[in-house]
Amino acid sequence: MKYEHLYVVIEHEGGKPIPVSLEMLGEARRLMDGYNSKYGASELVVAVVLGNNVRKLCDQLVHYGADAVIYADSPELEYSRNAVDTPVLFQIATNRDLVLKFAPKSTGFVKPRYMFFAADNIGRQLSSTVVGYLDSGLASDINKLAISDLEIKHEHKTKGQAMVYERTLEMYRPDFSGFLWTTILCLDNRNPAIAKEFHPQACSIIPGVFAPIERDATRKGVIVDYAPTFDPESLKVKILSRKIVKSSVDFDSKKAVVSFGRGIKGSPEENIRMVAELAKELDAEVGVSLPISKKPFPVSENVSSTYMTPDRVVGTSGRKVTPLLYIAAGISGTMHHLAGMKESGFVLAINPDEDAPIKGECDMFVKGRMEDVVPALIEELRRLRPALEAKR
Amino acid sequence: MMPDLYVAVIIKLEPDFSEGNVSYNADGTLNRAETKSILGPHSAIACQAAFLAKVKYGARVAVGTMGPPNADIALAQAQQVCDADELHLYSDRAFAGADTWATAETLRAGIAKMEGSSSGRSMDIVFSGHRASDGETGQTGPQTAVKLGSTFLGNVIDYDVDMQRRVVRAFRLITLQGFYDVVEEVEAPLPVFIAIDPTYKASFNTVSQRLAFEKYQKQAMGKAATVKQQIKVFNAQQLGTDPKLVGLPGSPTIVYRVEKIPKAKASRMAQVVDGSDRRQLAQVAAKIHEVLGGMVIK
Amino acid sequence: MTERYDVAIVGGGSAGLAALKRLADLGKQAVLIEAGRQAGTKNVSGGILYSKKPKNGRTYNVEDVYSNFLSEAPYERKITKYILHAVSKDKDFAIDLTAAHEYQANFGYSVLLSRLNSWFAGQAGEAAERQGGGIVSGVHVRSVSWNDGGRAVIESDELEHFEVKAVIAADGVNSEIAEMTGARPKFAPEQLYQGVKVVVKMPEEIVEERFGIGTGEGAAHLFAGDVTLGHIGGGFLYTNRDTLSVGAVYHYDSLLDKPAAPGALVNALLENPLVSEFVRDEVAVKEEIDRNLPKEEQLRTKFAVSKLVKTWNDLRDAYHSPSARRKLIEGGKFKSEDEIKSRIEYVKGELVSKYSTKFVTDYVELEYSTKLVPDGKRGAMRKPYHKNVLFVGDAAGRGIFIGPRIEGLNVGIDDAVRAADSIAKAIDRNDFSSMGESYSQQVEASPYTRDMHEIDKDYLKVFLDAAKAVPKDIVGQRYGMIFRLMSSSTLRGLAVGLANMLGYDKLLPLVESEETYVQVPIEIAERLGKAVTTSYKPTIPTLAQRVAKLKYDDDRQSHIKVTKPEAEFMKKMVTLCPTNCYLLEDGKVVLQHEACIECGTCAKETEWRHPRGEKGVAIQYG
Repeated sequence: MKYEHLYVVIEHEGGKPIPVSLEMLGEARRLMDGYNSKYGASELVVAVVLGNNVRKLCDQLVHYGADAVIYADSPELEYSRNAVDTPVLFQIATNRDLVLKFAPKSTGFVKPRYMFFAADNIGRQLSSTVVGYLDSGLASDINKLAISDLEIKHEHKTKGQAMVYERTLEMYRPDFSGFLWTTILCLDNRNPAIAKEFHPQACSIIPGVFAPIERDATRKGVIVDYAPTFDPESLKVKILSRKIVKSSVDFDSKKAVVSFGRGIKGSPEENIRMVAELAKELDAEVGVSLPISKKPFPVSENVSSTYMTPDRVVGTSGRKVTPLLYIAAGISGTMHHLAGMKESGFVLAINPDEDAPIKGECDMFVKGRMEDVVPALIEELRRLRPALEAKR
Repeated sequence: MMPDLYVAVIIKLEPDFSEGNVSYNADGTLNRAETKSILGPHSAIACQAAFLAKVKYGARVAVGTMGPPNADIALAQAQQVCDADELHLYSDRAFAGADTWATAETLRAGIAKMEGSSSGRSMDIVFSGHRASDGETGQTGPQTAVKLGSTFLGNVIDYDVDMQRRVVRAFRLITLQGFYDVVEEVEAPLPVFIAIDPTYKASFNTVSQRLAFEKYQKQAMGKAATVKQQIKVFNAQQLGTDPKLVGLPGSPTIVYRVEKIPKAKASRMAQVVDGSDRRQLAQVAAKIHEVLGGMVIK
Repeated sequence: MTERYDVAIVGGGSAGLAALKRLADLGKQAVLIEAGRQAGTKNVSGGILYSKKPKNGRTYNVEDVYSNFLSEAPYERKITKYILHAVSKDKDFAIDLTAAHEYQANFGYSVLLSRLNSWFAGQAGEAAERQGGGIVSGVHVRSVSWNDGGRAVIESDELEHFEVKAVIAADGVNSEIAEMTGARPKFAPEQLYQGVKVVVKMPEEIVEERFGIGTGEGAAHLFAGDVTLGHIGGGFLYTNRDTLSVGAVYHYDSLLDKPAAPGALVNALLENPLVSEFVRDEVAVKEEIDRNLPKEEQLRTKFAVSKLVKTWNDLRDAYHSPSARRKLIEGGKFKSEDEIKSRIEYVKGELVSKYSTKFVTDYVELEYSTKLVPDGKRGAMRKPYHKNVLFVGDAAGRGIFIGPRIEGLNVGIDDAVRAADSIAKAIDRNDFSSMGESYSQQVEASPYTRDMHEIDKDYLKVFLDAAKAVPKDIVGQRYGMIFRLMSSSTLRGLAVGLANMLGYDKLLPLVESEETYVQVPIEIAERLGKAVTTSYKPTIPTLAQRVAKLKYDDDRQSHIKVTKPEAEFMKKMVTLCPTNCYLLEDGKVVLQHEACIECGTCAKETEWRHPRGEKGVAIQYG
């Protein structure tokens, strides 16, 4: 067939794939297993990696679900440059010889059937340009996927007739209000007047919504290297410098945020340590209320420089966060702070004062002092862990 | 004096989400009919970036938008921000329903009609916002860059132009998930397409630049009353677009279905738990695990 | 390449802007540097702007600087009534002081500084641009130094440094230029007043009806007595076009003696029956949304009610304003005034029936603010210059406080013109060596300066005539003799001459005392006053609510440093800071600067700076 396989564009940093890359592979694996079973096919999950010295990454990708890995290794690909990466990815996506190396039966290959990118800074832009080069359609910020045969009746695409589009990728994206799911489809134009095929059906995937598969070191895959041809014009785009701005306080890709405020003052150092412990237990990011960033209590240099920083502030003068779970420990809940976290999924407050404003903006209010509640809560969470591992 | 630099901004008319102005339907969806439309906030920042080019390099600024006839509001507001010299509205039924790829085609054709694209030139710099506040795909910018054949630079937080070498130097803010944030300094020969990062702040660091800024701002205000006459409206025929490449026919993607997401956000009713009761804490822990089992919806 | 300009004016208040306009009109190039996002966002005034015609000498008035002031400026109302109230509990004794207000005055207009200064900036900026200068906002001047050529070098947080031949320091009562050049020490508490005010909303024609004034006319009411909570100073209420400025000004040292929160001081005024009756209006109170409803329904209701209440308010305000009414009809939205009225009733009906919204009597606060004001009698710089830096207005400590007479805006403008003229001359001669001294003499010659040093006996007479109804015995032992002297026209001249010889400063403690401002008025009110009945109790916002309404652009780094956390003065700041920025923790005073409104109350014993460019509070009304 002309359009086969699911290509996943991998992002990596410091020699490791970033989390969303493995999440994409996980979802790709699940989808293609279902697809192959349903359609009696043997299409593959193909990971695509650009970079410098990336061969060592490739095995891990197979262990996380890829059937094949195409990698392009070059100093010119050390850091992502949209102008350089886009044509290379286009070459890879349209190269049949490569495909034959891992899928010898794909003699009719023209382009991938499906394509995944990460919905982060680099991926969102790369997906737009690459899919543009491929003259196909893209849905961004997806958090749910399914493959099915759909009956479509569309004024332009089907000239009003009902037609069945098989093996269509349903791409779900939450809209700006947070209330609605919009399902996007990339469909061929079957109306003879505007006939055109649109493949790959592509999307960029929100980090943190899918889970990787369990790592399986016994999985086998074909690893193919590709020598890219660079357009000399694109190489005129030069990276002059790269500065790491700060150790990233990563609110966006974490499901939970645990913030602390001036309630730590009973014993600041100890309380902060406990909060960090709780955050670790929940794989949460640590946030602070605004006064904390001004370092109002004496603590060790390490704790101060790690936690009492402006980039951890949640609120109107800091970050707006929307995690599934927000825990506010020892935070009274000024309007500034509430504005920064009130769109969180589930809000839990820990505070001895029932009159604290945070009570009006939380779903569960645990009345008590931080130093008493947090350690106890950690214990309870740990007690539940074995049962939950079993469920996964 | 002939300008040495031509820049364009592509903007979008969007709903005004501020309280008192926005209206929602019973099912929580946006009531567009009752909600005012304004120049989208990211588009406005892109206009500020273009304005910097005018103040610092004497660039000619053109602003274009694809939209319905009332998108002239967005152009009028854009005019105030960047003292635009050219205002374009690309409006035609044929453009309706376009996804980002089809929109990019219309914009490409529109930009080709701007002064900076005449006599075989390519528009030196095209600016766009990071994303629209309603559609939020962030795709239109990069795809328009592909259509134009311009180098795409996204998440730009600062830039300057070397007028001798005809090269843009941009600073980009790249967030690497789970790692650190990086500020990348990149250089690219013109023509480039710059998608401005939401944190971009145009900075003018000398008294003379600040005074020039004021001068152009005042100029823009002076044109405000007659701005609508300044707008050139183009339909599909005038742009010369291929009907198969724009609007619905030119869109690879369609919206298939819209449905309610199970969870919604609003003010809350707190359940009070006694923090000294171990059993209740166990229930809290269970609730936490339950919550974290769900999906992230942003 | 260091940029060079002729003049830098630091501070875009009314004085700085007047200087800019004047210099431009004299054909000189000047650049005005303002720290706020735009001129006006850092200004607060009571306030009334006066134009004077003194019998001896002349003042440079606002209409001398802006010839189109009377026809185009967005002043509020022309004050035609000026009434002093002695109040105690619900008793009020009114003394008509309109004659004192009109004494040697062309006019006094109530103003809201944010929009007025914005207009000044438009006028001055345009004129300055034609001379190659202009206004640069969002820049905070960090230092002024001098290079070998004698030019002043201006450094700021935001711009590359530049050089100028002369500087006008118009950066207000907390002038950093005064401090960094050493031109004068920070003002001491006895040289200052703390003013606090709220802007209250009131539809235009309701203002006129309530205060018995015609279109464009205004009333000023002053208050002395128990509302002062025992402090030296008084309250004021000025009518603006569709708002009221309600506030109080007190001796700062009196506040240090008996610390009272500025919020409490303005609240005491608002709770006074007379004042609460003045400020009342009809207010929509949103009903609590039923939490049992599905969450989407709650949100939808919230937005629907918000929109309807906004519509009701907007239409009502428009209905009560002749110009807005006309616009609605001309614009085709409504065919007649009656149609507007019925729409308002309809919306109100919808709110009541569908959403159980209540409509009650209450008042609406729009903005809360505070500012320090220098008392020219005690704190005016004798020589308001330092090298080639000339100080004007509040930066030079030149506020006028004489009994009920409070003036600052007009003084700043007068200083600004004199400074601009001195600089222009120096530029023409290309000789700046005597510029400062020449300016200083100019200022000395101003009638305003005279008022800071001497009693004007004719003003005194006007004041006494107005107070004729007050029985002499109330005035008490202390002034008995003086009063008798002053009341006699023959002896008055002598007495005043004597007083002026003895020295203003010796008389001041006599006159500016608790007795004068608190006890005497209370007694007058209780003996002679009429009882005021009030129809409601005003719902006064909490400090948190007041602060939440203010607009800030938080500067991550704090602009104030607490250098003496255990000092007595700092402990009083916990009470005296109008936005509660200070807390006492374990005997030490700690600062949280985010709500700071930059009034300067704590400036004396801290390292106090204005926030960086565009940062900090942005005043909406002023």
